[in-house]
Amino acid sequence: MAASFTYIRIYLVRTILLIGALSALIGYYIVSPEADAVYTQINTWNMNIGTFTLFVGLITIFSRYGSNIMKRGKYWAYQLYALVLMIVFIILGTAAGLYSDLYQTAFFSTKITLHVAILGQMIFFMISGAYRVFRIKTLRTGLFALSALVIALCNAPWILSPFPQATDLVFWLLDNPAMAGRRAMVITGGIGGIVLGIRVLLGLEKGALRATE
Amino acid sequence: MFSFVSQNLQRGRGFELVFVIIVGILTYLFYRYGKRGREWEIRPLEGLEAIFEGIGRGAEMGRPIMVLPGIGDLGDPQTLAGLTVFGELTQRGAEIGVTTLSCASSSNVIAASEAIARSSYTAAGKEDLYTTGKYIRWFGGDQFSYAVGTAGTILAEKPAMIVFLGYFLMDVVLDAETGARVGAVQIGGTLGNLAYVAMFCDYLLIGEEIYAASASISKDKMAISTLAGQDWMKIISIGLMVVGVLFMLARSSVILDVMRW
Repeated sequence: MAASFTYIRIYLVRTILLIGALSALIGYYIVSPEADAVYTQINTWNMNIGTFTLFVGLITIFSRYGSNIMKRGKYWAYQLYALVLMIVFIILGTAAGLYSDLYQTAFFSTKITLHVAILGQMIFFMISGAYRVFRIKTLRTGLFALSALVIALCNAPWILSPFPQATDLVFWLLDNPAMAGRRAMVITGGIGGIVLGIRVLLGLEKGALRATE
Repeated sequence: MFSFVSQNLQRGRGFELVFVIIVGILTYLFYRYGKRGREWEIRPLEGLEAIFEGIGRGAEMGRPIMVLPGIGDLGDPQTLAGLTVFGELTQRGAEIGVTTLSCASSSNVIAASEAIARSSYTAAGKEDLYTTGKYIRWFGGDQFSYAVGTAGTILAEKPAMIVFLGYFLMDVVLDAETGARVGAVQIGGTLGNLAYVAMFCDYLLIGEEIYAASASISKDKMAISTLAGQDWMKIISIGLMVVGVLFMLARSSVILDVMRW
């Protein structure tokens, strides 16, 4: 009985996927109001499911954090702080409204401050990463470092001032080898994406669609 | 007939449609060949070999492994690629007792990841080990909250391997550097922010390699056969580019006009 339910689930999901994919494809390539209507409907379902999963996420966080806080487990203080903040923002949002000055000020004065703190921290992370890359252990990292060095040097005023032609070298590097490489990645990535989609529809990719078959 | 097609086709998307149909036909043809018993071999990819070694490393060190599908939503093929690899690694990990963790930004991706983890544990015959919310972590929909939450998880769990496969922005800087600090082997693949991924990761999957990764990991004959179709499409694309350049050199825009149809 359980096995037949699994089959129903798998094929139901695959059928919805197929209808969604076909309606999106037809609407994109062919003038078809019917396909557009099906796509809009499926998109609405998708948004509803997204909202629902948000609630599932909230409930999961509350239950997991709550039990850990009760047990005074690892990181319980941070989890308590997160839960208090979440409750405060939920109350603020529902009582004062999402677009009220109070909510916006509270949200941005915490979020933007944290963003700036993280961005400041990232500079040190980048320097650390750049140091590891520029140690030049392989040919690949050598090329990576060389091109970065050329572009950095050619943008430096003490090089640009006596040699204004250096800008041409930078633009040649960016417009030719870098652009060609980027386009190659985009084209092959596009083809790979389509084939991945076909593999998912054919059930060749494991995961939620097939693994229990 | 031609006018009927032209009238009903969205302007400028005719060539794209033909291209997608050809990709579909070729992929299906090679899938049929595969079903009849024909086998293809994939050239060894450094990044994929490292993934295999990473699972073993996790088992030896008694540490988990981590797959990050990035901050994209389910509509992004890169996220799908990350999720398929997550499914494969979770199953392989479950078979040998290695925990596979994941963090995602979108609530849809979280729901999909949970379903994939459950299926993978069931496929490995270890469904009793699966608990909702244990392997998948969610820290909100914001790029930086995702980055910081994931970095915290990396510091707490000290994974033996981290696979970055999906859509990333600046979050990869924070997470990959944290991964390097805890000594994790890092494998990265993305289409957008590749420079940062290349900067911080030990191994790189470039372009379509990120979509071929899950098929290569599973070594599933049928999935690999579709990659042969993909290779033929690449050959056709290269041919089209060469012909296009030759036509443009001869001051003819025929190929360009066909592509704009």
